[in-house]
This record gives sequence, C-alpha cells and structure tokens, in this order.
Amino acid sequence: MKLGWKIWLLIIVIVLSIVSIRPNFFGKGVLITSVEKNSTASQQGLKQGDLLLTVNGEEISTVDAYGAALEKAFTQEKVDNKTKVIFTTNQKSIILYLEKDPEITVSELPSTRIKTGLDLAGGARALVKTEKPLGAQEMTDLVAITSNRLNVFGLQDIKVSPVTDLSGERYLLVEIAGATPSDIKDLISKQGKFEAKIGNDTVFVGGDEDVTNVCRNDATCAGIESCDQAAEGYFCRFRFAIYLSEKAAQRHANITKNLKVNTSAQGGYLEKSLDLFIDQELVDTLLISSDLKGRATTQISIQGSGSGSTLEDARNDAYASMGKLQTILITGSIPYKLEIVKLDTISPLLGSQFVFYIILAGLASILAVSLIVLIRYRNIKLSLAVLTTSFSEIIIILGLAAFIKWNLDLPSIAGILTVIGTGVDQQIVILDESKLRKEKIGIIERLKRALFIVVATYFTALASLLPLYWAGAGLLRGFAVTTMMGITVGVLITRPAFVEIIRKMEK
Amino acid sequence: MTQEQPQHQEQGKPEHAHPKKPAYDRIYKIILILPLALLIFSFVYMFQFYQENKDFIHKDISLTGGTSITVNGEVDIVRLKDFLNGKLEDFQMKEISDLRTGKKIAIIIETKSSPDEAKKILEEFLGYTLDEKNSSIEFSGESISAGFYKQLQIAMIAAFILMSIVVFFIFRTFVPGFAIILSAFADILMTLVVVDIFGFKVSSAGIIAFLMLIGYSVDSDILLTTRVLKTRGESINARLWSAFKTGMTMTLTSLAAVLVSLFIVSSISDVLQQIFTILTIGLFFDIFNTWITNASILKWYAEKKRLG
Repeated sequence: MKLGWKIWLLIIVIVLSIVSIRPNFFGKGVLITSVEKNSTASQQGLKQGDLLLTVNGEEISTVDAYGAALEKAFTQEKVDNKTKVIFTTNQKSIILYLEKDPEITVSELPSTRIKTGLDLAGGARALVKTEKPLGAQEMTDLVAITSNRLNVFGLQDIKVSPVTDLSGERYLLVEIAGATPSDIKDLISKQGKFEAKIGNDTVFVGGDEDVTNVCRNDATCAGIESCDQAAEGYFCRFRFAIYLSEKAAQRHANITKNLKVNTSAQGGYLEKSLDLFIDQELVDTLLISSDLKGRATTQISIQGSGSGSTLEDARNDAYASMGKLQTILITGSIPYKLEIVKLDTISPLLGSQFVFYIILAGLASILAVSLIVLIRYRNIKLSLAVLTTSFSEIIIILGLAAFIKWNLDLPSIAGILTVIGTGVDQQIVILDESKLRKEKIGIIERLKRALFIVVATYFTALASLLPLYWAGAGLLRGFAVTTMMGITVGVLITRPAFVEIIRKMEK
Repeated sequence: MTQEQPQHQEQGKPEHAHPKKPAYDRIYKIILILPLALLIFSFVYMFQFYQENKDFIHKDISLTGGTSITVNGEVDIVRLKDFLNGKLEDFQMKEISDLRTGKKIAIIIETKSSPDEAKKILEEFLGYTLDEKNSSIEFSGESISAGFYKQLQIAMIAAFILMSIVVFFIFRTFVPGFAIILSAFADILMTLVVVDIFGFKVSSAGIIAFLMLIGYSVDSDILLTTRVLKTRGESINARLWSAFKTGMTMTLTSLAAVLVSLFIVSSISDVLQQIFTILTIGLFFDIFNTWITNASILKWYAEKKRLG
C-alpha cells in the first residue's frame, strides 16, 4: 500500500519528535549542573554537564545518594585537615582533597529532554516590582544584575526576564529550577548596597568600580578563621580578602592620613574604624591597623561571623553569610527599591507523583475516546486510526516543547489534555463526512466541508486563546502556547494525514 | 378543497408522504422556552449574586492574594484545624491523597495571612521546620492578584469577542452567527451559575477552564450550522439529525476524556481538578444549548429561508 505524502509527513514529524524528546529511562549517575569557579573540583577538571557515576567507588543515581555518599566520605580520617574523595565521571576519574563541600551541584538525570516547569520539578518563582517604573535600559541592567547575583551565589538553572502584563505593568520574573536557598527573598529583593565608611566618608562601595577582585574558593585568602562556643550554641568567624581599585585605595589613604593612632595592648589602631553597611544597616566594624594610616592599600580583609545551635550549623551559617557578602561586593547594588509581589517556593516531591498520574490520565482519555469511536462506528481499524492520530498529536506537541525548551507547567499540561478532546472532535467530523451520505455527494466535496469545519473551529479556538498569552504577566502563557501548538499541529499535520488514512481505508 | 395545506407539500418532497408534520417540527419553537427560562433564571441569579458579593464568582487565594502552603506527608487535619482557628486569617484546608492507595500525601493550607506568619504558626503545630524538602509555599500579593483577576476578565471578554468576530466572518449571515454566539454565551453563563451555586472558589486555573469552554462549545455549534446551511439536497430535519449524530459523538468523546482525567487527577491536583470539573459542567450544558437553543433557532431560520 502506497502511503501518500501527508502520511509520510506525519511519520517523519513523529520520528523527529521522539528524537527531540530523547527518552532515556535507564541512565546511571547524576548530572553535574554547576561547578564553582576556582574550586578544587574545577581545578581537577570537573565540568558542568559531566556525568558523575561514582563517589569513592559507590554508584550513585540520585541527589540523595550523592549527599549520603559525600557524608560518608567526610567521616573518614582526615589527612592534613582534608578528606580524600574520588569522583568517577563519564570522562575520567579524579581524586579530590577537600576541606569542605566540593562546591558542585548535581541533579538527577532527566529521563527525557522535556523540561518540566516549577510546578512539577520544584524550584522558586518570584515576581518583582520596582519602586519606580523602569525604562528599557534600566530593566536590562536589572535583569543582568539579578542573573549575576544568582549565578555568583551558585544558582545555575535560572531564568530572569522582564514581563509586562495586560495593564502595562512591568515586572521582573525570576525562575529558579531545582533546589532554592532559604534566603532567596533577600538575594532577589535586597538592593544590596554595600558601603564601607570611616566616620561619614565612604571609602569604597560594592561593585567592580571600587572592588576589583574578591577572594573566593581559595583557602589562602577566604574561609572560616575560628569557631568558638558561645552561651547559646556556636559562633564562627570568617574572613576573606578583597582588592580595591587604585581610586578606592587612594580614597582610603586620604581619609586615614589625618586620623590619630590609639595604641593599646593589642597594638596600634586608628581612632576611627571601618564600618561596613549593607542597605544602610551596619553589619560589621573593623579596626584599622595603624600601619595603614595614609597608605593607599589595595588589599583589605573583610570579616564577619555566623552562628548556630550546633557547630555544623554555625559553620554553615558563616559560609552563607560570607557568600552573601562576597556576592554583594562582586555585583554591586541596585539603585532602587524592589518589592517581591509574588513568591512561590515549590518542593519537587509532589511533582514526580503528578507526572505519573498525568501520563495515566492522558493515556486513559485516549483509550476512553477510542472506545466510544469503536462503539459508534463499529470498526476496529477506524478506532485504531483515531487512537494513533490522537497519540501522535501528543507526541508531536511534547517533541515541539522539548525542542524549543518550553517548560511544561500545570497550565501547559491542561492545555495538552484539552488538545486530546478537541483533536478527536475534528477527527469525528472528518469520519462522519466520509461515511455518511456516500451515495449522494462526492467525497471530495464532503471532505472539503469537513476541512471547512476544522479550519473554522481552529480559528475560533485561536481567537479565544490569544488574549491569554499576555494576561497575568505571562504566567498562564503555558496553557495558551501548548494548546495553540496542539491545534496548529493538528490542522497542518495530523488531520490531513488522518483524512488520507481514511481515504485509503475506503478503497 | 382544503384551504390550509401542510407547508411541506408546497415543496413537493417525497419523504413527507403522510400529511402529519413530524413531531419535531411541531415542538421546536416551543422547546425554546426551556433555554429561555434557564437564561432568565441565570441572569436573575447572577444579578443577585453580584449584589451580594460584588463579583461574579467566589475567588480563591490565587485571585484574592494570600498564602498557600503545601505540607508533604500525613498531617492530622482535624487537630490542625482546631489549632489554626483564630491564629490564621481566613483559612481553608484541602487534602491530597494517592488515587491508588488512598494514602494521604499532603495537605494544603490557604490563608490570607502573610507567608512568614503562616509558616511560623504551622511550624509550631508540626514541631519541625518547613523547608523546600518537605513543603511548598506560594504567595501572591493582594494588588497583583487583583490585577491578575482583572486581566483574566479582560482576556475572557476579548476571547469571546474575537470568537464572535471569527464566527460572523465564517458564516456571514446574522441569525445563524447569532445563534452560535448565544449558545456559547449560554453555556458559559449557566456553568458559572452552577459553579456559584455549589460555592466553588474559582482559581485562575478555573478561569482558564471557562476560556477552554468557549472553544469546546463552539465546536459543536459550528458543526451544526455548517451541516444545516451548506448541505444540499436534503430536508432540514435530515440535516439536523445527521449533525446531531456527529455532534453528540463529539461531545461524548470530549466528555469521556474530561471525566476520565477528572477522576484520575482530582485527588492529586486541585488546579487540574477545578479545570476538569468546570469543563464537565460546561459540556453538559453544551449538549443542552447546542441541540435545543442553537438547533431550534437555526431550524426556524432555515424554514424561513426555505433551505430544505
């Protein structure tokens, strides 16, 4: 049986879609989604995109397993205060001597290339409003600073974009997939204005104009200095070095040269200290050593502390605070206030169960529909034709979504399930036109009429979906997009192919 | 010599061999009373509802603003309710359970209180910290939610108008076009009334469902109208009957798809549950409005124009 070009087109598109989805259910290992710059791991050649297969010989396939394996590794004996950890990737095997966490993030291997939205994969989403309306350039800058901040903090799978809703309001939409830090709110919405002042004079501010380099991930110039037990828990002090530009260093010299020196048992210090402010809140005060008086020193050590109920908590808190400070010093500040008007932090746990049931619902719907078609037309071949056509529409939409890296969230999925319903409607129209009143009018005429109905409903559906593309700051866009993709694919590819299948079956 | 002749004999159609009019021909104008009555009831109900509530629907957190916290795991919902009374502002709770085992998977608490407040109070009850591993928190500010809602309303109206323009463009005749639009409008209005009577709190997903309804309900009406207006060589009733067979199959398949999905996902996602519930109600009304409202108006028009 010779297949017409429309059927071939359908087959080709289906195959392309499956390739685009690239299903892979049996993969081993976890995907390395980011490696901190200048970390021991990156120096040893670990890269983003590598597949981590074993940790110290143990095979791992989930994020939890990775965490457990690392924990186990750290309970081993330390040599020189460092723990030996062996990572085997799909590229090579590397040995790391780590003082602390290897500073990489991992995620489970996706079983397909379909990207699931936050509702299913977990993560955070924030809509941020600025205190004054922003122009185009300012908005671009805001996007850049925010992305930068999140990247510097260690978050890689992020999407920051400006959105406008129907009423013309502009927002910043921040979407972070996977795990999110608990201080996501601060990270996004704090202006992050860092100032170091002596008295009322500003010595330097955050940002690359004054701060040329911030030491990170190098134990010689950044890290935890000491930890002590305090009244209610533990208390750890951290320090890291920063390098000032010549201008800022000169400012430091000018301000300090007129200050008096106070000598005490601990040594000589200037009468005024260096006060560190973040968003106008004093966060720390550093004594300035007397030998820095009048000197255009370019290296400064920034200190701070963290606390917790256990030593572990205190260390983690200290690292977190240090990370935040380093981020603000590197990226600079945002010159206006930000307000988070919508914040969702979604746990990934429920998501995986969702996916199972959604797939089940999709398959069951297609089955139920095919059953009704079978009862109505009493023809198994017809019923199978309807079944395969519906199924192929779904595959094509999924393939398209994977290809354009569209995030499938709950509204998108509702859209896809809708397409099953409307798609079948069209097929029934076509079926009826070809089966009924065979004797009276030519089949071409009837199929033309069927196609007329199909195209008419296509345009009315399109018309009713378009406004949804812009409404609600684009958060419901997913539904509009998947449904429009579905019905367009239907009209252009699957229905014409279906018509041809029917005609072939008639002969 | 008879003065009054049955109208079909003027056209000389062979199938009207017996002089009595088919039953449908006698009642099709009369049954229009049913949709008319329902429409009047709907308008009156909505008017009253609007007076009482200053809006067309009961809104949920996604449209009024507020916090929604999903706590994974089994939680004693009765004890929690007692604990939260008086502490959380205006709260509601839902349980999510596994379809196969009936085991409770999570509990959703919605409240107007701020997320930080709500989180603290919940942590007090639960005795452990809520983080992203065991919970999800969604928060929408009040003004942005109000803005959302307004825009969704605009989207609804815009969608309906655009759809109407397309319909008139396709059929280019007033009465049939009007019948389709009236039928679609009635579908949405009647579904809205049922949703309100049951006291459902509509979410933004629910409004999407209403938008989907526009598309679904117009499908069957377009089929009906095309068949009646464009098929030649058949009586009007025959055209109506064949359209009915096709259209009912269409609506039944849509209904089957929606009911199956509703059954499977309702226990696990309230977003999808609301969408499919609204669609189910809408599809039932679609059957009524297409085959009684739209069909009768169309037949009236077709008879007047002597189309068959």
